[in-house]
Amino acid sequence: MKTIRFSPERVSIIARNTLLEAVRQKLFSFLVLISLGMILSSTFFRDFNFGSGELKFITDFGFGAITFFGSILAIVATAQLFFSEIENRTALTILAKPVFRSEFIFGKFFGVFLVLLFFCAIMAVSLAGVLYWREGELTREIPDAFADGRLVAYGDIFIFVFLQWLKFGILAAITMVIASFSNTNLYSVVMSFFILIICHLQYLARDAWEALGVLPVKLAVGLLGLIFPNFQLFNLGDQIALGERLPGELALRVALYGLVYILVFNAVAIYSFRKREI
Amino acid sequence: MATSPSSKPPAIRIEGLTKDFALTLRGLKLRAVDNLDLTVKENQVFGLLGPNGSGKSTTIKVILGLLEPTFGSCEIFGIPSNNVRSRMDVGYLPEAPYFYRYLNGEELVRFYGRICQVPKDRLEDRVAEVLEWVGLKDAARRRVGTYSKGMLQRVGLAQALVHDPRLILLDEPTAGVDPVGSAEISELILKLKDAGKTILLCSHLLAQVEGICDEIAILNRGRLVLEGDLKSLVSERHRNAVMVENLPAGLEKELGAWLEAKGARLVGIETPRTTLDRIFLEHIGYRKEQGSSRQVDENIARSDAGKPEAS
Amino acid sequence: MLVLAGLLTRPIEAPAWHQLREREPALNLDRIEGALGQGVTVALLGGFRAMVANFIWLRANHHWERYDRPATTALIHLTTAVDPRPLYFWLNGARMIAYDMPNWRYDDLGGIENVPRDVRREIEREQSGIAFALLDNALEFHPDNPSIYIDKANIAQRRIEDLELAVEYYRQAALQPDAPFYAARIYAELLRRLDRHREAYEWLVELYPRLPPDNDAAMAPVVLGRIRDLEDHLGIPPGERYQPPARARPGVPEMLVP
Repeated sequence: MKTIRFSPERVSIIARNTLLEAVRQKLFSFLVLISLGMILSSTFFRDFNFGSGELKFITDFGFGAITFFGSILAIVATAQLFFSEIENRTALTILAKPVFRSEFIFGKFFGVFLVLLFFCAIMAVSLAGVLYWREGELTREIPDAFADGRLVAYGDIFIFVFLQWLKFGILAAITMVIASFSNTNLYSVVMSFFILIICHLQYLARDAWEALGVLPVKLAVGLLGLIFPNFQLFNLGDQIALGERLPGELALRVALYGLVYILVFNAVAIYSFRKREI
Repeated sequence: MATSPSSKPPAIRIEGLTKDFALTLRGLKLRAVDNLDLTVKENQVFGLLGPNGSGKSTTIKVILGLLEPTFGSCEIFGIPSNNVRSRMDVGYLPEAPYFYRYLNGEELVRFYGRICQVPKDRLEDRVAEVLEWVGLKDAARRRVGTYSKGMLQRVGLAQALVHDPRLILLDEPTAGVDPVGSAEISELILKLKDAGKTILLCSHLLAQVEGICDEIAILNRGRLVLEGDLKSLVSERHRNAVMVENLPAGLEKELGAWLEAKGARLVGIETPRTTLDRIFLEHIGYRKEQGSSRQVDENIARSDAGKPEAS
Repeated sequence: MLVLAGLLTRPIEAPAWHQLREREPALNLDRIEGALGQGVTVALLGGFRAMVANFIWLRANHHWERYDRPATTALIHLTTAVDPRPLYFWLNGARMIAYDMPNWRYDDLGGIENVPRDVRREIEREQSGIAFALLDNALEFHPDNPSIYIDKANIAQRRIEDLELAVEYYRQAALQPDAPFYAARIYAELLRRLDRHREAYEWLVELYPRLPPDNDAAMAPVVLGRIRDLEDHLGIPPGERYQPPARARPGVPEMLVP
């Protein structure tokens, strides 16, 4: 009798199809354009004559655009691509084939993760390009400020964007968890944004934890800090913009943290999706 | 063990299937299927009939493992349907399928073929084969988004067949399709049967089902109300019809008296009627016996090309 | 499952988080919230701190172009409160306050030629005081940074022409690790101008052996020349004059790492 096992090949087929669908949607191009516009418009800082500080501004705005629009893309694209399968009943035709639900979830996830990779790569290259160009111009205009050579740590920019990609991956996996049990696209998007904010602010609860006296409250707050991943950990961009080098060990830890959470949330999504009636 | 190796398991065996859907969190439930027993033997066309909301689609979804039964069991060729392996031998055409609009017909069927792990060296041939078989050879490179409803059904059939399954489930395959398309699909179903496949057909369009099904089951409100061989169910065994050409006026009485003398009874004399479907098909030049399906497909493809469906 | 994941990732996360927090000064919310409102505060807490600071800095520059002293001053302070990490905000803010704003105030009083000298002095002292306070605040976040002392020294020297004060700031600048070589030289030069030749001489004699001979910016021959000039001025007999070591000590002195 033929046996059937989890197949990475099927996952990759579904992922590639998801990627294709995403790229043909308007949202992706829209966000890429708006983020590119934001990075390019940062050259308007020239009007203020900030000197070498201009490079920090461009870096900050670039990172801000990547973080902000990338988060939107991670949530909206995941929910959209998931529910288009449900609503168009294509999920029915795929799951009616010899396909595990885990393969479907992983396929959808990796498809979105690839979309996010493209987004991050486009952004990182354009940001580095704008910085390189402006740095070259400024070096000619004010050579003293660049006496020690180039100020921008280009390698760190790519490391930062890579870590953002992992963060978007966690976010996409969280959205997948919510989509796996919710009935509407809108609900999934709203809930995911809500959780995004919690993940960004959970450190405040943890800071307050020590000072809390009442045991039940303390337990609840402690639990909050454990359940939601700490997104502030990925917030390394400010330091790169300030010209401080990123310690390699820190970057590695953050990357590992991101990978673990991507796996955990995918596992939760699979568990929840297995029970879903389609 | 439900089956011993010697006895060949049926295509579908459903026992005591009950499916409840929770309506509210407080436990109010809707019973979509109620204690259903059903066996579909191999190599027949089985019609699962019933009004809307009678539990047909739910039953199909349980067979496909998309829904977990509340009680009871379902097996496909002896393998429990919640086992992914059972779907190796199943092809499924959902009701009003949409598919990925940005792929063309060929890419779509190839996608499903790869999902089903059709061997790489066989894939391209197989894709071309099924597309030709459903009559979409000429529209294979057109985007699915521009297909008409009938073409969508046919490309749906192609994806259901690409991995050469033994059992094919068709959910309302002719809903929203014009009579030519319906006739086409009916013909394809019979061809599948000839090729040794088992077909489970789910429909509420009874006239179309009648021509092709071997067996039927009628569901109402989740319960099985009638099951059996279609011919024996529809024929009225104590009655016979005699067709006469040019019956002279006034001869009815004489005929009635003659029959009465022989111990039979004349129930009525009426002019036989053809069906509107048949008139329609005759007038647009569709001939089931001689017109090869490809000829008609090309006609449809051509007429469809002029009016892409919006949906 | 998520709690388990949280517990399991703590050993990965905690050291990284600790490291990150150490580099990140705490937000002074009391000063910020009133000025910005809650929406921006959430953005700040959520990690868009540098962006928010940049926007406020752009606003400050917008008002600076319009010579709006109260608005510019307030926004400079707000910028540094939101994100005290970029030195750029502190230094440029202080320069706007100390160098530009006095001119705006003369204009308000009818142009520099119509402002009496003592009123001008008063205005310059006031503005420099605000700038000094800002830079002292900067030192809380960048304690060892010589640029802050150098900017203070510059304001003292050029704006209020207080050489005593300027000398003190240059001394502090020169004492910081990573101080530029010129800070120590300017310190000695200002001492000489203040007729504190003996102090200048002793400082340079102490400085010279620590200058790397192969670094142009260290200007070791210039420093030796100054030492000789001061010896002439102080009338030091040839036998007691400074004898430079035959070879400069290898290695870079810790105080003057470039």
